[in-house]
Amino acid sequence: MVARLAWLKLRLLWNGLRADWQRRVGFPSLLVLLGYVSWILVGQFRSAMVTLTADARLEFTLWGALLFWLAWVALPVVIFPLDENLDPAQFAFAPIRPSQLVTGLAVSALIAPGVVIPVIVVGTAVVEFAHVLPAALLSAALLLGVVIMSGQVFTTLISAIFKTRHGRDVALLIVLGIGLSGFTAQSMIRSTVERLGLEGALLANRLDGVAALLPPVAAQRVVVSAENGDLTGLVIWALVAAAWIAVLGWVWQRLLAWMLTTPDAGPARSRRRSDRGLAGRGGWSAARVIARKEVRFYVRDPRQRLVWTGAVIFIALAAISVLAGTGGFGRLASREWLPLLAPALVLFVGLPIALNFFGWERNAASFLFVLPVRPRTLLWGKNLAATWALMLETVALALLLATISGGWSNLVLVPGLMVAAIGCQLAVGNVVSVISPLRLPREGTDVFAQASEQGCLAIGAQAISFFLIGVLLVVPSAVAVLTVGFSAPIPRWFANVFALAWGVLFYAISLGVSSSILRRRMPEVVNWVQTV
Amino acid sequence: MTATEHDEEGETSAAPAVWARGLVRRFGKSTAVDGLDLSIRPGEFYGLIGQNGAGKTTTIKMIVGLLRPTAGRAGIGDFDTWKQPIEVKRRIGVLPEEFNLYERLTGAELLDFVAAMHGLERSQAVERRNELLELLDLQDEAGKLVGDYSRGMRKKAALAAAIIHRPDVLFLDEPFEGVDALSARLIQRLLIRYTEGGATVVFSAHEMNLVERLCSRVGIMIRGRLAMEGTQMELCDRFGVATIEDAFIAAVGGDEGRGAVAWLHDSPG
Repeated sequence: MVARLAWLKLRLLWNGLRADWQRRVGFPSLLVLLGYVSWILVGQFRSAMVTLTADARLEFTLWGALLFWLAWVALPVVIFPLDENLDPAQFAFAPIRPSQLVTGLAVSALIAPGVVIPVIVVGTAVVEFAHVLPAALLSAALLLGVVIMSGQVFTTLISAIFKTRHGRDVALLIVLGIGLSGFTAQSMIRSTVERLGLEGALLANRLDGVAALLPPVAAQRVVVSAENGDLTGLVIWALVAAAWIAVLGWVWQRLLAWMLTTPDAGPARSRRRSDRGLAGRGGWSAARVIARKEVRFYVRDPRQRLVWTGAVIFIALAAISVLAGTGGFGRLASREWLPLLAPALVLFVGLPIALNFFGWERNAASFLFVLPVRPRTLLWGKNLAATWALMLETVALALLLATISGGWSNLVLVPGLMVAAIGCQLAVGNVVSVISPLRLPREGTDVFAQASEQGCLAIGAQAISFFLIGVLLVVPSAVAVLTVGFSAPIPRWFANVFALAWGVLFYAISLGVSSSILRRRMPEVVNWVQTV
Repeated sequence: MTATEHDEEGETSAAPAVWARGLVRRFGKSTAVDGLDLSIRPGEFYGLIGQNGAGKTTTIKMIVGLLRPTAGRAGIGDFDTWKQPIEVKRRIGVLPEEFNLYERLTGAELLDFVAAMHGLERSQAVERRNELLELLDLQDEAGKLVGDYSRGMRKKAALAAAIIHRPDVLFLDEPFEGVDALSARLIQRLLIRYTEGGATVVFSAHEMNLVERLCSRVGIMIRGRLAMEGTQMELCDRFGVATIEDAFIAAVGGDEGRGAVAWLHDSPG
């Protein structure tokens, strides 16, 4: 049965590659990209290792296993997953024993491009400990099992939380917590290493005492014991790691069973809302009604809400960084031009929506596109909603940064820069949205499932688009800088008008181009964004 | 160029309400619709029937502008779907088989949204929305999210969204699936009155009794082609049978020799 599930995953992957050129491009690109990044990180890790004494070196591998495990488990939830999971609901009626299902799903999770990361990491660990090869292989297998199983358990746990009454808000807090904890941990490690040096920090913060509580550390202890010639320790730690895998498997199995037999909690979704409809008040033109519909989805769709509330995480991190004075951020607190960063910072927040206006329609795209709405009106309506949200967040962030830095006088430049930033973001976003919309996973299944190959293209498209938006913003930013620095040769009113005109110009050009493209490509866009 | 037809004497007759000329759609090596010609007159209740995979949904998608044809043309009245899409969309209402509504809008919001897209005045939109919700017995659910509706309620909401602007042509793909008997009867009456007012309905369904009860003309699609069409009487006479269901089964080659699966008749175990 396990082999059959693995075969199914392989077949789905293969069929996806055959049917979809996006996947044919994305799959090898993702393999190369992930492989390259892993190789670089592993290389840096190995370079640091050679500077350490034998004792610290072993401790370093334990810390490495722990941090890798944390990153692997948390990143899919904080950013987005790299894999398209098999949906357990599909097997609800199949005569499969729970243990077989869990093992099969875990094994099938290995058939994905993302697995190149743990393979490179674990492979490097084997090479490092090649002189105790059997123990290194055993340790690597256990670490791989722990990592894969933990990742699945965590995303299933978050998906399960999403099903509960206040799940969406709880999940948001968890994501916020992960972001803040990650940032705090990074700051603490950095300052400790700066204070004691890497070797000193490792020896002063040994993981020995808590190794049994940390599954990846237990797995890594297997090879460390072998290195120290401790055969009893090797066996004990192998048993501990195996026990952890069994516990994780049991928890996963229970979670899956609960999810398969528990419907989404009703009250939060089905509570009665206003039955005034959209005609009650507010604008009534097609574009304004589209904008109002979009705003409702920003609030009601948990994934879109997560995108917009990402700003909260951002603002919180920015504020904590500046106030706590961590790293180089502390120096920013005294800069009066700090509020001018607000428009640029908010760019990070709106991108998943601004670069994929039609992907968020999902299957409803076929409903929308039989309505007699001109492409320009459609884009304009969606842009209005995004502009509203981006403006709200930019103003809030600018006020926060002005409070921190005392740079109230520079707030006057924010409106112009804000229009330039939003205009350029929407200019690039509109074109990307109609040329390469990203198909989002179907709602109601694993909320973190996503086709890995598409994820790769999304990363590529977002990186290129962000770079492009940045390039477009160089000129208005330079003009703004000349009003506060270099003897301020440019008056502020001019910088404001210039930035505003710049944003409007690029937006207007892009709206014309993207409307024209959308007019010709509507059926293709519907086909791209619909889930099958 | 419009679809206005010219008869043999050169006189111009009214354009068909729905038309297709040499419509082809290929998916890779397979051909879903193969040179389809179709002409549906205004006021007709036209039934499009065929086996699964015969190309009915693909045909409707190409006529309404959701799927680009590989070859051929299609349109509504004087307008070509692929040259004047907005004009066509103003005149149609669509209830697709897979009705993908906005699940995070309430029923009332959904209807208002569609009304605004069709350019209805605000007061007119509110009036029509309330009437439709009452007719379809959804007035108490107007403030609930469509995602929380049952399958039948969603179907009714989708139907209301398809007709709120009083389209010239209504495309219905399996409209009664999941709808309770009372609502189905109400909808049928509504649709009959609608065609009596000169509107056209293109109705795709597998329930032959509904086709018999509602349709003034029927087209049978086989492997992407419109194999035959006519009134119910014409089709029944052609095969010497009494019902549309029998005519359809005869048209697709009959059911003799199919469905043996002898093992299924054995005792369990």
